[in-house]
Amino acid sequence: MIELLAITDDATPPDPPLGAVRCGRLSVLWAPATEAALDADALWQREVLLEQLMERRDLLPVRLGTLVADERAACEAIAPRGEELARALERVRGAVELSVRALGASDDAPSPAPGEQTGREYLRDRLARDALAREVHAPLAAAARASVVLDGPEVLRAAYLVDRDEVDAFVARFRRLQHECSSVAMVCTGPWPPYSFAEEGDA
Amino acid sequence: MKDKVLAGPLGGDLDPFAKPTRSIGSRRFDADPESLERGLAQLVLTIVELLRQLMERQALRRIDGGGLTDEEVERLGRTFMELDARMAELRDQFGLDAEDLNLDLGPLGRLL
Amino acid sequence: MSAGPLAERDVALVDLLDRLLGGGVVIVGDITLAAANVDLVHVSLRALVSSVETARRQL
Repeated sequence: MIELLAITDDATPPDPPLGAVRCGRLSVLWAPATEAALDADALWQREVLLEQLMERRDLLPVRLGTLVADERAACEAIAPRGEELARALERVRGAVELSVRALGASDDAPSPAPGEQTGREYLRDRLARDALAREVHAPLAAAARASVVLDGPEVLRAAYLVDRDEVDAFVARFRRLQHECSSVAMVCTGPWPPYSFAEEGDA
Repeated sequence: MKDKVLAGPLGGDLDPFAKPTRSIGSRRFDADPESLERGLAQLVLTIVELLRQLMERQALRRIDGGGLTDEEVERLGRTFMELDARMAELRDQFGLDAEDLNLDLGPLGRLL
Repeated sequence: MSAGPLAERDVALVDLLDRLLGGGVVIVGDITLAAANVDLVHVSLRALVSSVETARRQL
């Protein structure tokens, strides 16, 4: 069995033990399936592999844990989606993903119990959170090629698709925004392979 | 491992961002009846949670747009507040956290 | 407590997990590791959810 790692249209073969199989215009990069436990170290190791691959090629990372029997099965699996995947690759060409999470001042405090807060206050807090999320997201989205808001407990959890050589400018914009928005604490991580822009979905 | 944090909050306290780590072990595949039942509860609660969010969002838009009396606003808010608390209780009962209800639907994306 | 490489690693792990479990191209493999243990259920949910999803987008 092989675990599918990424989809690319670059023809450069990866270093062993990784393999690549050509499927039409695309290539599927894979690793031999292992029985290894899924712990944090294993996930980081896999991520390091993926990022090394990404250093030399544009790629779409595949969802964790996708195993097929062999290379032929890999091609069969992606055959019906060749066009769509090629389009997705174009969307992420020359770009990486950055993650941003923002917490409001009230995120640390426990949620008030129903008796401690009026219905109006509850909704007002919700509206305020939404407004804060937009305030943080809008300028960052403007500094990126594409963006998507993700679900999470934070006021804002989002992914931004940024040109490889625009990453520093994005981080600078992030730092300025952090200074401007004193009511949130923000963190930016990356660069990541474009996980959040690999499927057509919401992005 | 490369350093992935590009920029952090003023003051440098990263702890609040380090918390939502889930235990990977709890997400293993399990075919026993108990976990299937839990899976079903997860499913049902997710639908309820989705509906709750849909309704709440609709209500917020109406309030934003004006046209509701103070009493209506108050009643709406209380209802959603209580729903929210009830959802938390139900999740507790089944040992699920908010992220467990975010069903992954493959190409359709996450449910919530 | 708040500084140092451990906190940074945990922060990055949260973001990594979010991506590994919720992102990436979804190809139906022979075995899809249950990163979400309702993988068996989600396939039959599509019809129901796509109509709800349409409603959600319209909000």
